[in-house]
Amino acid sequence: MQRRKFLSLGALAAVATMVPARLAAEDFRATKPDVWTSKDINDGIAKLYGKVPTPSDAVKLTIPKVASNGGQVPVDIATDIPAKTVALFQDANPESAVIVFNVYENSVVDYSIKIKMKKSGTMTVVVEGLDGKLYSVTKSIDVALGGCEG
Amino acid sequence: MKIKSKLKDGVVETKVMASHEMTTYDIAEKKTGNREDANFITHITATINGKVVYEASTSQFLSKNPIFKFSFKGAKAGDVLNVSWVDRKGNKEDEKETIK
Repeated sequence: MQRRKFLSLGALAAVATMVPARLAAEDFRATKPDVWTSKDINDGIAKLYGKVPTPSDAVKLTIPKVASNGGQVPVDIATDIPAKTVALFQDANPESAVIVFNVYENSVVDYSIKIKMKKSGTMTVVVEGLDGKLYSVTKSIDVALGGCEG
Repeated sequence: MKIKSKLKDGVVETKVMASHEMTTYDIAEKKTGNREDANFITHITATINGKVVYEASTSQFLSKNPIFKFSFKGAKAGDVLNVSWVDRKGNKEDEKETIK
């Protein structure tokens, strides 16, 4: 946290003096409510970051090609890019945002979660680097049995 | 909530198993007719020695009884990992795990 605060103060001194110091944790549902009602991947990314990511091989998204159970789709996310935040979006459910991670000094960006996918679709992971740039990867997945019932 | 963690080569591999229905708005509407009955974990944090090592803002689209796997550095055996989550209705759960 200290390092992040230091970096933001250094790089964005003018901005930093105008906004209150970042808390130890940030609930993006509270600070970015529009992200969670967005129904489209690109729109969700725009509402969270305000810009368009660049596809990058350095962002790793590991998902099955075919998910037999859409209620339990395993998703692995990893990157070596020094990151500030990491976000997962998809286009199979009513809204696109799934999870947004804040990355800290001692965090390793190597996350696994299981998510619901109502039907076949695509997933996009966006990594916001400490350099301020957005990196992304998109993959498609076939869902045999939709998973918003369980 | 159950936590499993293991220190290996300076990295603590952690698995947090939360017990939660993760009821989506659509399921709530189907079951009770009221979308506002939706309830799911909205925020989870893990801290060690007062420092946040994992934090996620989450949606209704995580699976029922979600499992959060993550890793972090900067901890040693004996340190205590604190994990807490809060859901849409304001329910909170906290759990501790000593790093082995």
